Amino acid sequence: MISPVKIWRRQRHIKDQLGKTGKILTWTKIYIAAKEFKKNAPYYVVMVELDSGRRLYGQLVDLMDEKISIGMKVESILRKVRQPSQDGVIAYGIKFKLLKDE
Amino acid sequence: MVSIIGYYTTQFGELWEKSLFSLVGEAIDNVLIESGLEKKQIDAVFFGNMLSGILENNLHASAKIAEILKLNIPIFRVEAACASGGSAFNLAVNYVKSQAAETVLVVGAEKMTDFSPEQVVGGLSAASSGEEQESGLTFPGIYALMAQSYLNKNKTKEEDLACISVKNHFHGSLNDKAHFRRQISVSDVLNSAYVAYPLKVLDSSPISDGASSVIITSNKKIIKKAKKPVMVLASEVVNDTISLKKRKNLDSIEATIIAADKVFKKTGLKRKDITVAELHDCFSIAEIIAMEDIGFWKKGEGASGARAYSTMFGRSDNLVVNTSGGLKSAGHPVGATGIKQLGEIYLQLTGRAEKRQVKGAKYGLAHNVGGSGGTVVITILGN
Repeated sequence: MISPVKIWRRQRHIKDQLGKTGKILTWTKIYIAAKEFKKNAPYYVVMVELDSGRRLYGQLVDLMDEKISIGMKVESILRKVRQPSQDGVIAYGIKFKLLKDE
Repeated sequence: MVSIIGYYTTQFGELWEKSLFSLVGEAIDNVLIESGLEKKQIDAVFFGNMLSGILENNLHASAKIAEILKLNIPIFRVEAACASGGSAFNLAVNYVKSQAAETVLVVGAEKMTDFSPEQVVGGLSAASSGEEQESGLTFPGIYALMAQSYLNKNKTKEEDLACISVKNHFHGSLNDKAHFRRQISVSDVLNSAYVAYPLKVLDSSPISDGASSVIITSNKKIIKKAKKPVMVLASEVVNDTISLKKRKNLDSIEATIIAADKVFKKTGLKRKDITVAELHDCFSIAEIIAMEDIGFWKKGEGASGARAYSTMFGRSDNLVVNTSGGLKSAGHPVGATGIKQLGEIYLQLTGRAEKRQVKGAKYGLAHNVGGSGGTVVITILGN
């Protein structure tokens, strides 16, 4: 279980990571998830290299039926990341969506 | 020189009638018999275990083992995720080398099947970084990220990965202690369900119970009396970042490259001197990457090596890999795995590997990985 204090500590840094663009370095689709993520399975997880060179992990969401591949461009967005804990704190974090062709 | 003088492993599998410490007890009692030692000849114990704290609310195993042994000696629990067993062994060897003790028992054990897959997957993910956990990655997921990177760079297909599982299940069919003792085909692997794309159920090692033990000693009298001692020629632990994303290469494990270079430099052996190896095939891709990182195969040649079954018992004219069945077929009780790997090499070098005995095996290597490569232990044994 994640302490609500830990969730708060993590969430303080989210705003620095929002609205950033980058490309997919590698990706997977998770079918068997841990309990807190089971409800969302199957879901995509990507490792992204931001334009700044920094790397982030996140789920790739808001998909229609696009074929995912390494090198695709993505943008970081704010989403709920796991089911609320017993203390009722909703954990928000970074996810990604595909950038449409400019 | 530190030598292994005895090895025992319990059955690996779904052992619902056995608790963690009944497995540990069985492994201890029988390795003493195998070694021809009385328990009072044991100076210290190292215990490799990962999950008992998380899954069973069960820590302070040192005292529990003292209770089982009825001995007042130093006992240490070692945790390094899936490399807990290998790390326990490495520490025990260094403990003996530093002359803190002469004769040390190393036991690794894990009890996993009492819990639901979600609980076990969640527990195992404690060995990944907070960011990895928060993104919903699991261990299969992290290895899938490595697999995707590898497949993309090296013109490798899912069929090539499947060949590793086919080979290891063939070996497991020759090992009575293996969790799974049936052979499988490439199409069985390809038709199994995805766990984390592109890895499927039959690319993945199972959730298993089991305990394995060895006794090491530097006592010359005991070594002389031992029927079949095997020397520990080199054992190295290398750590790296816990997060995969912090590493330069995603299709290779640098800690394996460094540890392999160290053990070969220390022993003066060449890659081709090794005729049996137990590599950490937690997923099919992991064995291919390990073969390349250790230097048995050139980088990028993994797919052709796997497809040719070039390390399969009966087909290989040089190196045979994972005669125990590997983690895939022998099973993967996390804390026990590193000890079972060393035990399998011990059996091979002493001519006791029965139906899977590689003829004339003189040097063997065991490769145990924690997490996605944050801990690597490589040991070379010889006789």
